[in-house]
Amino acid sequence: MSKILAVAGVIALVAAMYVAISKVYPFNWNLVVRYYILFMKGLLITLKVSVVSLVISFFLGLIFALFRRSHFEFLQDLGSIYVWFFRNTPLLVIILLTYYGVGTIFQMNRFWASVIALSLFEGAYMTEILRSGMEAVDKGEIEAARSLGMSEFQIFTTVIFPQAIRISLPPLIGQMVSLIKDSSLASVIALEELTMMGRQVGTRTLASFESYLIVAVLYVTITSIISFSGRIIERRLSLP
Amino acid sequence: MNVLELEGIRKSFGDLEVLKGIDLKVRKGEILVIIGPSGAGKSTLLRVMNMLEAPDEGVVTFLGRKLVPNRKRLVRWARSRMGFVFQHFNLFTHMNALRNVAVGLVKVRKMEWEDAEKIAMEYLKKVGLEDKAYNYPSQLSGGQKQRVAIARALAMEPELILFDEPTSALDPSLVGEVLDVMKSLANEGRTMVVVTHEMGFAKSVAHRIVYMEDGEIIEESHPDEFFASPKSEEARKFVGSIIDRML
Repeated sequence: MSKILAVAGVIALVAAMYVAISKVYPFNWNLVVRYYILFMKGLLITLKVSVVSLVISFFLGLIFALFRRSHFEFLQDLGSIYVWFFRNTPLLVIILLTYYGVGTIFQMNRFWASVIALSLFEGAYMTEILRSGMEAVDKGEIEAARSLGMSEFQIFTTVIFPQAIRISLPPLIGQMVSLIKDSSLASVIALEELTMMGRQVGTRTLASFESYLIVAVLYVTITSIISFSGRIIERRLSLP
Repeated sequence: MNVLELEGIRKSFGDLEVLKGIDLKVRKGEILVIIGPSGAGKSTLLRVMNMLEAPDEGVVTFLGRKLVPNRKRLVRWARSRMGFVFQHFNLFTHMNALRNVAVGLVKVRKMEWEDAEKIAMEYLKKVGLEDKAYNYPSQLSGGQKQRVAIARALAMEPELILFDEPTSALDPSLVGEVLDVMKSLANEGRTMVVVTHEMGFAKSVAHRIVYMEDGEIIEESHPDEFFASPKSEEARKFVGSIIDRML
């Protein structure tokens, strides 16, 4: 009940603000809506970049998390340096570095430069999420698996990984949402994703306010869908 | 025939020497109970037996084969032939009771899940938990968890079962059901090494009592003899303190 009241309150507030603003700034939605195809195109690119980066960053996270748990000091250090560098550099700078630095040398297009920059950056966070998930698995269970005669690889696949994924799921979903939002920074290298398209429509129609509002609503929609489905998966996977 | 032989086992954790040269033989069909105050090195000794802890010095021989920590295959073979029952059960949280028992057969003995689960069900029946087969560990009592853990060890058809204080983490009211299962195993003539503080169990089931203190075996004797008239001063004090506590 209180939730419904809160939602109603927010809607009322937004509506009031809208009415107040439109006194000074006459909204012209027709201008912008005509370009809906550009928004859809942008949205599609945003989703493409995000999904590809998500897959790559997950595997990067998994590999570096295993490095950080490895017995070899060299691999541990490699993992730490990776996490340290990418968590302490702004994503914007990483994107610029990838596109204008590495990208010019290897003739990389905007799409792949964005994917690589995003994957490396988000992968560092995934590493920490997966590592703490693996560390949260009861040491006793690992010993029990060992006492049955399982190999270290079998222990990972049957005892550690399935539990680590379940433990890591909520922060992983959060990271996925961040990834989608972070992909807007790829507009700086003129990748034609949602934010870039919003800017284009804005300049073309001189209706930036409307255009960016649409962009914001689209981001909120996809990230909300992901959070919501994430919660459903979490419930499905939860143990009694 | 000896199932397990320990010779001159030494183990330190940092500066602390936990095992100071242990020699011990476990014969086939024998039930050996290790007792002693906490910190005596009983659990560590048990963990050295199946190489959960690698000894710093000394030799562990299992079924005639010398176990070397670096020979991973050999160690895995030995572990798969040696059951281990932990104080805190250590059931796999994300698997139901049946899977907990079957997983070793599938992963280590390379069985199909279907066949493994049939066998697992037999062992759950044996510990009286066939009706809990599809329950997860979180839905079981401590005593039930430990019985599932025993079934998990049994399913591998071990030549030797190691019990590390199997009832110490249980509510007093649940100790009986676990001890009953262990007694029935003893009656089947299984080879068992049990670290426990349950003196009643030690007295009635053990073939031999090993008394440890401070990383050394102080005394080895038949339970009747041990409880009636301990040879060593330390054991006498220990038994005395336990009898005091029971009264």
